[in-house]
Amino acid sequence: MHQTYTTRRNAGNSFARNHNTVRHTKRSLGSISQIVIVSMLTLIFGLIYVAESTKATSFDYEISKVEDEITEMNAKKDDLAVEKARLNSVATAKNSTVAAAMEDATVTGYVAD
Amino acid sequence: MSRTNYQHLVTNPAASTSHRIKILKNVVLIALGIILLRLFFIQIVEHNAWVAKADEAHTLLETITAKRGEIYMMDEDEPVAVALNQTTYQIIIDPAVTEKEGIKHALETYAKDYIAVNIDDIYNTEGLRYSIVAKNVPREAADKIAAENLGAVWFKKNNQRVYPEGDLASGLLGFVNADGLGQYGVEGSLNDALSGKDGLLKATADVNKVALSIGKDNVKIPAEDGKNVVLSVDRGLQKGVEEIAVDAINNTAATNASVLIMDPNTGEVLTMANLPNYNPSDYGNVKDASAYINYTTEVPYEPASICKSFAFSAALNEGAMTADTTYFNEGYTTVDGWKIQNAEQRASIYGTINMKTALYWSLNTGSIQALRLLGGSASEITQQGREKLYDYYYNKFRLGQISGIELIEAEGFIPDPNEGWGRDSVYANMTFGQNLGITMIQTATAFSAVVNGGYYRTPFIVKGTMENGELVEKPHTEAIEDKILSDETSAAMRDMLIYNRNYKVRGGIDKPGYAIGGKSGTAQVVRNGAYDDTFAELIGSYIGFVGPEGELPKYVIMVKMWGEGQSIESGDAMNLFDKISNYAINYLKIPPKA
Repeated sequence: MHQTYTTRRNAGNSFARNHNTVRHTKRSLGSISQIVIVSMLTLIFGLIYVAESTKATSFDYEISKVEDEITEMNAKKDDLAVEKARLNSVATAKNSTVAAAMEDATVTGYVAD
Repeated sequence: MSRTNYQHLVTNPAASTSHRIKILKNVVLIALGIILLRLFFIQIVEHNAWVAKADEAHTLLETITAKRGEIYMMDEDEPVAVALNQTTYQIIIDPAVTEKEGIKHALETYAKDYIAVNIDDIYNTEGLRYSIVAKNVPREAADKIAAENLGAVWFKKNNQRVYPEGDLASGLLGFVNADGLGQYGVEGSLNDALSGKDGLLKATADVNKVALSIGKDNVKIPAEDGKNVVLSVDRGLQKGVEEIAVDAINNTAATNASVLIMDPNTGEVLTMANLPNYNPSDYGNVKDASAYINYTTEVPYEPASICKSFAFSAALNEGAMTADTTYFNEGYTTVDGWKIQNAEQRASIYGTINMKTALYWSLNTGSIQALRLLGGSASEITQQGREKLYDYYYNKFRLGQISGIELIEAEGFIPDPNEGWGRDSVYANMTFGQNLGITMIQTATAFSAVVNGGYYRTPFIVKGTMENGELVEKPHTEAIEDKILSDETSAAMRDMLIYNRNYKVRGGIDKPGYAIGGKSGTAQVVRNGAYDDTFAELIGSYIGFVGPEGELPKYVIMVKMWGEGQSIESGDAMNLFDKISNYAINYLKIPPKA
C-alpha cells in the first residue's frame, strides 16, 4: 500500500511564517433574534395599517358630518322656500294690509294709441 | 357449614379508574364530534347564511330617497311654486317616563297647531307607552322642543308635501298620500316624473352606523330627484275664477262647478277649476271622496246643446248647408217613431226659419235637420248622414277619445253609426248632445277647433320644467295639429255663435269692441236607464270664446254647474260664463278693437 507522509513542521512552517492567522467562521442570527425582528416588523406594519385605517375612518366621520350638514342645510333651504311661497301666495297677498287699503277697480278702460 | 364467597363483589380500584377514564374519553370524543359536526355545518353547509349574517352586522344598507319634484303655476310670465316639500317631525313620547307638565308646556308653546292628541288622555290611559303626540311639526319648533331636554321624547322625520296656496286648484293638483304616492290630479298623473328614482347606499359601517370607505363592496347609487313640473295654469286667473265660481254656487242651487279656460290657438290650458275645493294637505278629512275628482278630464257627460256647434260645423264644412239654409220648424220632429221636441216653443219661431235662427234658439229640430242635410236628404236621416256625423265627432273632433292632456282622463263614448238599435234616433239625439259621453276637455278642445280657424290641437297643461331656477319649456312634439274645418266654416260658426250673444252686448254684459260668442247646454239626467222627463235634475253648461272684434279668439271658456237632485239651467252656467269672461278680459289685458 502506497502512502505519502508530510511532516507537521514543514507544513506548519509554510503556513504560519510571517502571516497572521485568520479563522473564517460562518456567523448568523439566532432564532430568538429572528423572532424578535419579525415581531417588531409585524408590529410596525400593523401600527402603520391601524394608523392609516384610523385616519381613513376619521375622514369617513368627517364626510358623514359634512353630509349631515348638507342635509340640514337643504332642510333649511326647503323651509325657507316654503315660507317664501306662503308669503307670496295669493291668499297672503289678498289678506295683507296693503291689499286691505286698496279700493276695488270698477271700470277698466283702454286708451287708444 | 359452607361459606359464602363474596370475592366477586370486591371492587378492583385500578379497573374502576380505567373504566371511568374510558367513559370520559368517550364523552370527550362525542363532544368533540358534535363540535366538529356543528363546525362542519356552520362552515360548509350553512356557510352562505352565516356570511350573510356577519355582513348584515357591519353593513349599512340605506335607500337614498329621491326628492319629490315641485309643482309650479304661472304668475303671468313667472313660475310660482304651488306644491313643495318640507321636512317635518312626529313627536313621540313615553308617558311612563316623559314628564307630563314639561311636554305639555313645550308642545303648547312651540307646536300648538300640531298637537295630535289630548295629552291628559294619554297620561290617564293605563299602560300606554310610546304615543304620537304631535304631527307635521316644523323643524324649528321641533328644535325648540328638543332643546327642553325632556326625557323619553323622540322625533321622527317625515317628508311632507306642502301646498302654500291652500286649497287653490286642489281638484287639479291632487295630493300625496302617507306612502309618498301622488294621488289624483297632477300629483297622480305625473307621479313617476315627480317621484324621481331612489338611490342606494351599501357600505361597511362601524358601530355608530357611519359608512366607512374601507369596505371593498361599497356601493353608492345617487338618487335621481323628481322633475319640477311647471303647469300652464295661471295662478291669478285660477284664483279669480274659483272665487267667481264659489260665488255662483252660493247663489244658485248648484253644489258643484267646473271651469276650463284654454287658448284655442295653442291648446294651452290656463285655468282648470273644480269647486268646491279641499285642502290637499289635509286630504284625509275630506268627507266626500268625489271632491278628489277632476271633473274636467275624468268624468264624461252629455253636454247637451253645446254639441249643436259640432253638428252645424260638420254640415257647414261638408257644404250641406249654410247659415241661411231654411227648414220648416213645427216645434218638434219625429225620428224612429219618437217625437223629439224643442225646449223653446214660442210662436214667432214656428214655420220656415234659417239655421242661424235655429242655433240662436237652440232648436233640436234645427240640429236634426243639419244631420239630415249631412246625409244628403232634407227629410230623412240616412246612413251616410250618421257615418259623416260619426266621422266628424269621433275622428275629426276626437270626441270620445283620450285628448292627450297630461292628466288622468276618461275616454267617454260615441255610438257606432250602424251597429245597434234605433241608430237614427240615437244620432238625432247626438246632434243636441245626448246619447254620448264626452269630457269637458274633449268638448273645449273640439270647440276650439270650431272657432280657431278649424285646427284641432292637442290640449296641454304642462308648460315645461324648472331646472336650476329657470323655466325650460317643453316642446309638444307629439301634439296633434289637424286642419279639420275650412276657414270659411270656422268663420261662419264664429258669426253664428257671436250672434247668439247679441242680446248680451245690448244688455251691456258683453263689452263693446270684443267678439264674444257662445253656446249653452242644459242636459237631462239619465235615471233608471231613461232620461228624466220631470227635469228634476239638470246639468247646466256653457261654452264660449273671447277675443278682440275682428280677430281670432284669444280664449275659450267652458263652465259646467250641477248638484245632486238640483235643476241647474244653462242660464246659471251662462251667468257664470259672463262673469268669468269679463274677469278674464281684465286679468289677461285683452284690448278691444281700436
